[in-house]
Amino acid sequence: MRLSRTRRALLIVANLAAIAFLVLPLLPVVLGALQSEKAIQSDLRSLLPRQPTLANFELILSGGALRGPIFDQVSYLPKSVERFPAAFMNSVAVAASVSLLTLVFGAFSAYTVARLRLAWIRALLSLSVASRLVPLIVLMVPLYVLFRRYGLLNSLTGVVVAEIGFLLPYAVLILVPYFAALPAELEDAARIDGCTRFGAFLRIVLPLATPGLAACATIMFILSWHELLIPLIVVSRPEAMTIPVVLAGLVSDYFVFFTLMMAICLLGLLPTLLLVLLLQKYVVRGLVAGALKG
Amino acid sequence: MLNLPSGLCLLLILAWPVLYAGWLSLHDVSLRNLRTGELPFAGLANYARLFGDEIFWLTLRNTCVFVGISVALEVVLALAVALVIDDDRVGLSRVTRVLLLVPWGVPPVVNGLLWAFIFNTQFGYLNRALLALGAIAEPINWLGHPTRAMGAVITAYVWRTTPFNILLYHAGLRGIPRDYYEAAEVDGASAWQRFRHVTLPLLRPIIAVSLILRTTFGFMVFDEIFAITQGGPGNATWVAAWYTYRAAFQPPFNVGLGAASAWVMALVLAVAGIAYARLIGRHVT
Repeated sequence: MRLSRTRRALLIVANLAAIAFLVLPLLPVVLGALQSEKAIQSDLRSLLPRQPTLANFELILSGGALRGPIFDQVSYLPKSVERFPAAFMNSVAVAASVSLLTLVFGAFSAYTVARLRLAWIRALLSLSVASRLVPLIVLMVPLYVLFRRYGLLNSLTGVVVAEIGFLLPYAVLILVPYFAALPAELEDAARIDGCTRFGAFLRIVLPLATPGLAACATIMFILSWHELLIPLIVVSRPEAMTIPVVLAGLVSDYFVFFTLMMAICLLGLLPTLLLVLLLQKYVVRGLVAGALKG
Repeated sequence: MLNLPSGLCLLLILAWPVLYAGWLSLHDVSLRNLRTGELPFAGLANYARLFGDEIFWLTLRNTCVFVGISVALEVVLALAVALVIDDDRVGLSRVTRVLLLVPWGVPPVVNGLLWAFIFNTQFGYLNRALLALGAIAEPINWLGHPTRAMGAVITAYVWRTTPFNILLYHAGLRGIPRDYYEAAEVDGASAWQRFRHVTLPLLRPIIAVSLILRTTFGFMVFDEIFAITQGGPGNATWVAAWYTYRAAFQPPFNVGLGAASAWVMALVLAVAGIAYARLIGRHVT
């Protein structure tokens, strides 16, 4: 069926509005990050930067060492600037560990849920669904007390453990539909040929479930990169801070410059934004699978 | 055997802490007591304090306002966008679909900071745009006014979370056979009637799932509050998670009180959780 001309025009306008809704709020971040604080304060009505500069990025990426003419006279720099490079590496380490471990553990569980029709495994699945809805802050109060007792505060290990605990049920929910969609006959054939159940899982099921594994790993990496509350409460030593904690430090800093803040924000959001855009196909399917088909 | 990690995780990092939080809420847990390791039994003192706290009731009210408005906005906006991108005959909808997850990819705390910048009175881009357009003569103080601050926090939150709903509804729309629409059209149904009597009823299960998910997640909002208003101005944007955070992890570090408020929150959400598990269960079996 062909579209009438007015309908087509309406749909195009509606699409443009949707695109504006999705990307426009990011524009101030870019525009802010490309200006000096002086420039943004000098004209309160202009939208575009008069003299674009990369000085903010140079300063942050060098951890505050490369000051350049703009920051030469500045006597105070927020701590977030010097902490940024280390925090970035911490975030990479935490997100990679969380993503890998939830993927491995999640795959084990999701496979049993998809294949074995046992009552206690069904209960495990319902429990995973229900646990998705336990507010994180509810967990953080007791975890703080427990971590304090067992010396896990102020360590990246503590952050990883808490994040795995919080995210693993979700990983299972994302993976189950992928495993359930694979025909059981393939594994049966492999087992007749002398494969163990675990061998069949490793050699037959996992390779076939690659899209699901990719989706799960990506989503877990992103959610871990985004996590603020867990590291905020577990970590207070600068060496173990992750990107969201460093960014959160800007909030209570009354001397912070908006332009510098936007530059840090841009660097902090870029990794996951790129992941989302590049691996979109997997992320979309994984999110839908995890919400509707658990 | 294979379930060992997940089972352990559910027990040790999820179930046990929730119960332990209940235990903590019945004890006097201050930083000093944590240092000595002795946590004296306090009975229901924490709960008495909680329910006697005016700010707690204000927090509940704020949370309901926040959740009610943001969930309604998320559902309506998401439904609108999902319908717009559903038509493949407009090439532009492909572009929209690619950009769909952009807000979801932004870390929540960054989202908070970027909207704090947008809403800033002096330098923010909202006032800049309005001044440049001549819509206002003087900059508006968005975050210094209780109602406007709540509106700002809701705007920021809804922007980040709507894409997830769009995805769900988009998937739902794709599941509706095209024949239904053609049949309805042959029968002379208008576009509105097709939406009202074909799309909406078939989308209902998905809308129900999204309503429950979004309501409970709305209850947990923390990052945007933290980054934009810190609960202010006054106590105008204190919400549930913020209350617990302030009680337990900010001076005077009353962990017991935090645990009590956390438990009240968990109880409220448990009801929603059970409903969600049932709904999903019905989907699978």
